[in-house]
Amino acid sequence: MPLSFPYVGTFTYVFESIARGMKRDDIIVPDEPTYRTKQLGSQHSSEFVCTPFKMLLGSIIEVIEKGAYEIVATVFVDYCRLGYYSPLYRIILEDLGYDFDLINLDWFNKIEFFTSFKKLACNVNAVQAFQAFRVGWIKNRYIDQIDKTLYSYGAVEIDKGASYKVAHKLYRQVVETEGMKNIRMLPEIIQKTFDDEVEIDTEANPLKVGVVGELYAVVEPAINLDIMRRLNDIGVVTETPITFTRWIDLGQRMNPFKKWHYKACIKHAKPYVRYPLGGKTRESLGAVIEYKEKGWDGVIHLYPFTCMPEIISRSILPQVSREHDMPVLSLVLDEHTGEAGIQTRLEAFVDLLERKRNKGNGF
Amino acid sequence: MIKNPERKLRVGIPRALLYYKFSDLWITFFEQLGAEVIISPETTKKIKDVAVRLAPDEDCYSTKLYFGHVMALKDKVDYLFIPRFGGRKKKYVGCPKFIGLAEVLRSMIPDLPEILMPHYNRGMDKHTRIGLLVRAFRLGKIFRNNPFVRIRAISKAFKAQKLHNKSMIIDEKTLQKWENSEVILNDFPIYTENERQLKIVLVGHSYVLNDPFSSLSIRSLLQGYGVDIITSEQIPRKLIEKQMAKLEYDIYFDFEREILGTIMHFIESKTVDGIIHLLIFSCGPDSIAGEIAARYSKRDPTIPLLQLVFDELTGEAGMRTRIEAFVDMLRRSIDEQVIFLTTQAHI
Repeated sequence: MPLSFPYVGTFTYVFESIARGMKRDDIIVPDEPTYRTKQLGSQHSSEFVCTPFKMLLGSIIEVIEKGAYEIVATVFVDYCRLGYYSPLYRIILEDLGYDFDLINLDWFNKIEFFTSFKKLACNVNAVQAFQAFRVGWIKNRYIDQIDKTLYSYGAVEIDKGASYKVAHKLYRQVVETEGMKNIRMLPEIIQKTFDDEVEIDTEANPLKVGVVGELYAVVEPAINLDIMRRLNDIGVVTETPITFTRWIDLGQRMNPFKKWHYKACIKHAKPYVRYPLGGKTRESLGAVIEYKEKGWDGVIHLYPFTCMPEIISRSILPQVSREHDMPVLSLVLDEHTGEAGIQTRLEAFVDLLERKRNKGNGF
Repeated sequence: MIKNPERKLRVGIPRALLYYKFSDLWITFFEQLGAEVIISPETTKKIKDVAVRLAPDEDCYSTKLYFGHVMALKDKVDYLFIPRFGGRKKKYVGCPKFIGLAEVLRSMIPDLPEILMPHYNRGMDKHTRIGLLVRAFRLGKIFRNNPFVRIRAISKAFKAQKLHNKSMIIDEKTLQKWENSEVILNDFPIYTENERQLKIVLVGHSYVLNDPFSSLSIRSLLQGYGVDIITSEQIPRKLIEKQMAKLEYDIYFDFEREILGTIMHFIESKTVDGIIHLLIFSCGPDSIAGEIAARYSKRDPTIPLLQLVFDELTGEAGMRTRIEAFVDMLRRSIDEQVIFLTTQAHI
């Protein structure tokens, strides 16, 4: 049965490599979401459900139209609506008359997780399946490394767009590399390729902006209108602590000495929001202080329209920004977000940061 | 603040959101501790205007109204009571905004009186029932040092809440009687000659159903049309849990269980003429429950379901027309379609 999954930013590459590692040759790789994806998703979902729901639904419908039968989804109880995605997709897609099977990976329900995982890994035995998963999370680290390098090189490259070309080549290389020995070589290759193929302006002193917020809004270029690239194009180095590493990377999760960025952020956010309330509320608040301490220039906070937890952080962010003298730009995104509006606001924000920096230097 | 023994400490409770669920518990508790409880007035246009101007744009309408109620209380009280409520049952959670509300208000309106914000979250943080009592006990220290007074206040408050729940939630027998038109549970509908009395379930959050302003007084409107209503708050918990058990997935929003369970129960039992579902714009849980309800209703369309979305821009005239049209439609469909009553089921 053809296997597929909705498109979620660069995590799609990780997923592809896990599926290939499990010797599933029948996978259908989803396309990047387009205008049609947004339309399809919002057409079949409730009016004010959050935007990731609509986008993922559109992506799932597209892969089903391409011939996929088994769709991987996730489900778990949280404060937010994420746990309802998969059951509601099932109802909606049944009503639409598609022939499909949703496979829920529910990490909190271990038995169910392993039965559905076994269903996915029908071609290999348990050890091989685990090995594929392990390769997946290790590759995830390198995908993150490419992202990180890209977002800093993209800002200072002389030939605009060069680093994005290199990154796309490297993503494919990471997916296609096989054998643990070769995979372990990847970090060096990634760094070397960037150094060799992208010519950078070593004199530049670019502004540095951290991007935080809701997971999907940060990792998916289709919803945030490629905000990272837009920032890079106006010469700003960006970074995001929001990746899939903290969930999928069991190797790092089991390491008790690993210093998690989000844990530090949550500590910082304690005076503002004391208790967990879902999403990345406390992390978004704490990240502003964390980036301030690191000496960065500003923070951009992204969240999809009607996201419940992030509205709370958006309401408290002005206070955090005021008390720590750190500029914060909150952007709410939905399927109608216009490019020009985002671009104008980003440029204005960057101008503001530049002025603030120059003021500090005694101009 | 200096405690003035002459004057009672005044505690303000905004008449919005969870107030409609736990009012008896809170008011009894503070009154037993010797505090003066001040509740904000019923929602008015002025409160709404203040709220909409002040509150974050993306918040749901009910949360926005909360801001208005807080502003109405601001200068009249010594303390504001805004609990951080995460859920009262294991596994089930409330809306995340209930947890963050107190902190958002503190951050957005700097000159508020001190906010009492006890945190209780049975669903995710695994607080125990005893934990709730301990929190209430600690909270009471602000008002009275005497532990016995505090314990008595807590026990009286819980008794009051229990009584409230008991009078609110009916049992299955009463529901059956209502279905057979033997009793009337809410206000008497104005009866018109030559027209059959309609039965409609009004489904929604308690802070929408009981707030005439945000629901555009839909209850009295229906009463005027000669419709006998029952609300989702009154439905026996057993029936709701029975419906929820049928689902393959878990509805983990506590209050949505009540809403969806009611709709599913009446779609299945077919003992009413119609269902009206009141949604609040940009309410997260509602967007899910509303979609599920709409789709289940479409699969079994015997009982018509009307979903009305309310927000601060909703016009009264438009809403009235839709409700009127819905009621007219139900009246006409009666002649052609037999409504099955469950008279035989329990013999």
